[in-house]
Formats: sequence, C-alpha cells, structure tokens
Amino acid sequence: MNFLKIFVRNLVKGPSTIPFPFAPAWTPERMRGRIQFKLQSCTGCRACEQVCAPGAIRFDKTPEGLRFMRWHNTCVFCGMCEFYCPTDAISQSDDWHMAHAVGEKYGMAIREVIPYIACTGCGMKTLASAPNPVGVAPPFTPEEIEQQRNLCPACRKKALAERGVQS
Amino acid sequence: MSNFTIPVGPLHVALEEPMYFRIDVHGETVNNVTITAGHVHRGVEYLITKRNVFQNVVLTERICSLCSNSHPQAYSMAIEQIAGIRIPARAEYLRAIADEIKRVASHLFNVGVLAHLVGFESLFMHVMEVRERMQDVKESIFGNRMDIGANTIGGVRYDIDPERIGYLREQLAALVPEVDEIIEIYRTDSSILRRTRGIGVLSYDDAIDCGVVGPVARAAGIEYDVRVKAPYAAYDRLDVPVHVLKDGDVWSRAMIRLMEARTAIDLIHQCLDGLPDGPTVAMDERPAIPPGEAIAKCEAPRGELIYYVRMTDSPKPERVKWRVPSFLNWDALGIMLRQAKVSDIAIIVNSIDPCISCTER
Ligand code: SF4
Ligand code: SF4
Repeated sequence: MNFLKIFVRNLVKGPSTIPFPFAPAWTPERMRGRIQFKLQSCTGCRACEQVCAPGAIRFDKTPEGLRFMRWHNTCVFCGMCEFYCPTDAISQSDDWHMAHAVGEKYGMAIREVIPYIACTGCGMKTLASAPNPVGVAPPFTPEEIEQQRNLCPACRKKALAERGVQS
Repeated sequence: MSNFTIPVGPLHVALEEPMYFRIDVHGETVNNVTITAGHVHRGVEYLITKRNVFQNVVLTERICSLCSNSHPQAYSMAIEQIAGIRIPARAEYLRAIADEIKRVASHLFNVGVLAHLVGFESLFMHVMEVRERMQDVKESIFGNRMDIGANTIGGVRYDIDPERIGYLREQLAALVPEVDEIIEIYRTDSSILRRTRGIGVLSYDDAIDCGVVGPVARAAGIEYDVRVKAPYAAYDRLDVPVHVLKDGDVWSRAMIRLMEARTAIDLIHQCLDGLPDGPTVAMDERPAIPPGEAIAKCEAPRGELIYYVRMTDSPKPERVKWRVPSFLNWDALGIMLRQAKVSDIAIIVNSIDPCISCTER
C-alpha cells in the first residue's frame, strides 16, 4: 500500500491537535480529576484515608472535631477513595485544570472539620458525622440522617434498633 | 578497520529510557555488548511492603504506564487467591476488556516508535494518531489515558452501560480499517522492510535459551501465550488466536504486535457479546486478607508477568516479588545485537519493546 495516499488524506483532514489553551480541550464525562468533598455526607469512617496510596488524605483530631485534609498536589487521581467511600462524600470531578503558581501551593487542599457536638440523646460529646448507610434497609431518609448526626454512637444504635433494622 | 568502544546511554538520543550499553565495534559492526542496568531504581519492592493491600493496587499500577493494567491485575489475582475470593463473571469480562484495550494502545505505540527510528516520521505520526483513538477510549471509559484504574481486590472499579458499549463498538469499528492499513504498510513498505528484515535475529533455540516471553518469543516461533496456556479473567471463554512467526527478526516482532493489536479488537468484541449481567465486585466492603502466599500471572503487552505475594497478619504484604517480561527479553539483546550494524542498534533495542521502569522498578 502506498503511504502517500494516507499522507494526502491526513493532509486534507487538517491538524488533529487542539489549540489549547486558546480553545477548550475535550474532556470526557468520566475523566478522573480534582476530588470534591461533601462534609455533610462524611461518616468519618476514614476508609478513604486507608486506601489512598500516596497519603493525600489525612484525618487529624483538633479541639473542634475531626479534620479532613486532602492535598490536591499529592493526589494521583486513582479514584480509590471515591470507590470505597460508603456515601457520596468523596467524588471525582472532571476538572483537570490544576496548574497554579508556586505561592498558592498550600491553598491546593481541602480542609474541613466534622465538629464535636453534644449528643441530643445523652449529652455526651460526639462527632456530628453522617451515619454509615451500609446495610441499612430501607435506606435512611434525609430527616433520619439529620437525627442520627446529632446522636452519639450508643444512641445511634438505640435509634436504629427502635427503627427495627440492624445495621 | 579498527576497533572502538562506544558508550550508549544511560542518557542518549536513541533511547527514551536510561540504560547503559557498552558496545565494542569493529568498523561499524558490533562485536560485543555489555548491558548495565540500575539507573532508575525506585525501590518499589520496599515501598509495597510499607503500604496496605488496597493502596498497593495503585502502587503496582504505577510500575509501568504501558502495562499499567497488567500489574494491578496480577497483583489482585494473587491477593484474591490468598483470600479465596472468586470474582463475579462480569468482572472477569471487564478485566479482559481492560487488558485488551491496553494491549492495542501499547502495541501500536511500539510499532509507531519503530517507524520513528527508521526515520519514517510521517508514518510514526500516523500510527500515533491511530493509537490516539484508543487513548480517547481509555479516557472516556476509565477516566485516564494511561493509568486506567480498572482493577481492585475482588473485581473491577468500572462498569460499562449500553451507551458506552455502543461508543466502544463504534470506536473499534473505526479502528479496524486503520489498523489493517497500518499492517499492510509494515508488510510491504520498502523503507520499513529494508531496515527490519533479517535485522536483530533471535533464533528459536536462542529464544528458548534466553527464556524470552511475549511478542519477542512468538516472533521466534515459540507458541506461548499466558491467555491460552493458563487462562485468567474471561480468557477461558474467549477464542484467543496465538500469532507465531518463524524468522525472529525486528520485522517479525513488529508484525506480531500489529496482528495482536488487530486480534485484541476482536477479543473486545467477543467480550462485549458475552458480557454477563451482575455485580462487578465480589463484596461491597473491603475484604479481610488472611496470611498466605500466592503466585499469579498474566499476559502483559510485553509478555508473561508473574507476581508472588506473601501476606502475614499485617494488612501490608510481607513480600512481593515480580518476574517482569522485559527482564528476560533484555538478555536476548546480547544475541540480537551480535554482528549488527551500529545504525541498527536503536531499532533492535526498540524491537524487544524494552520497559526499564518495570525491569528496575
Ligand atoms: S484519588 Fe487516589 S490519590 Fe487521590 S485522594 Fe483519592 S485515593 Fe488518594
Ligand atoms: S465517609 Fe467517605 S469521605 Fe468520609 S471518611 Fe468515610 S470514606 Fe472518607
């Protein structure tokens, strides 16, 4: 076969490169990009921290509560945290525009705190995390999630038992 | 004519990765080659014992970007064997699809680089352009061009819906004539043939002696393919033809890769036809891994990849040992380069599809 034919065909077809950054680049829907965090859904189970190979996710205890910290520049976009998160607290967006000035590097992080509260059942100091949805059937309603959030682990168990389901 | 010693590498224009060759030449003919490795040792064998079983799915994927599906797959298979996990049928098919998509892209890449080394730049760019279709497929289905993140312990992390199956079939249908066209060019184009036929020959006996694997072995007449000899994932339910050529030269190795890329497209279709319904992972939560040891192997684009894993009571492996395909193929270079012309060195080195990142890991 004569390569000239292909050569001419490619010439007629024109360039297949994208004029980025002067025009937007094609991004598929499933593109695994910047991690997003939804504090309201986080159960504080720390599964994401345990599966994160480079250690981009860290939890630490502060006087105010349990702090979730995630460094964008350490992340390798593997998607393990999203896969093993029992809720939709962690998700990967299709945003890959992560270039930034060196001066902004300490801002390339998510820092959010699951606060301590007093349990509405017994008054004990507890974390206002979302309840673990695994094995709960029928699933929690939004009202139940809010009710559970304000309870300590023991009171949560009691409330679940009253609900008539073993989690 | 006089004798010289030429150092090639570890940083050299003809080599994309750091490897050091000490080449003794007589005139412009190679007399002897000494290969020295170890310039990019990353200590992955140490790192893997410092991470837990799940983190290592990602670490193993980063050992080599071109075989980046085969490493976590073999690793997951070994862990699943230790834990006695049987992955769902749908996951087995999805693993095979991921494997073959990577194979098409990897083989086209190597064959493209051959055109570049021959000096046929427009063909090089054309092959890379065709490969780009597979890169787009990977990005659309898995979310990344190289590290597709398909595997996890107990199954796969991705799924395809009818819409994506349609997209995949559409892209494969467009790829078939393009790959056929490339095969025809490599089969007939005189400038390719002149630089590759009878160059870097590895005979059947030498291939057996060196224990070469993958396309390098199959181009020398050895009919060995893990997908057929020891089927994993869904390969026992697929019809996998093994391509074999006799000559063992650079051209044969390129042709084997092209034919395998073409076959991989058919295999993906076979998988999509037979794709069963059901879950994609064996269990919803992370399984506990008991102590034990296991060996698993799979057919990476570069050949047979073997993993040995030993677990104790700790969540971190005590030992992980690899036998990577390139390690054996490197050895054969000493034979292929004997009596070669200096100008053919880069072409011959490329023909084993060398992977330094996995060899030195
Ligand atoms: S995507 Fe991977 S590397 Fe990034 S935070 Fe999640 S687990 Fe860690
Ligand atoms: S709920 Fe999700 S984000 Fe929160 S700790 Fe668990 S895995 Fe991490």
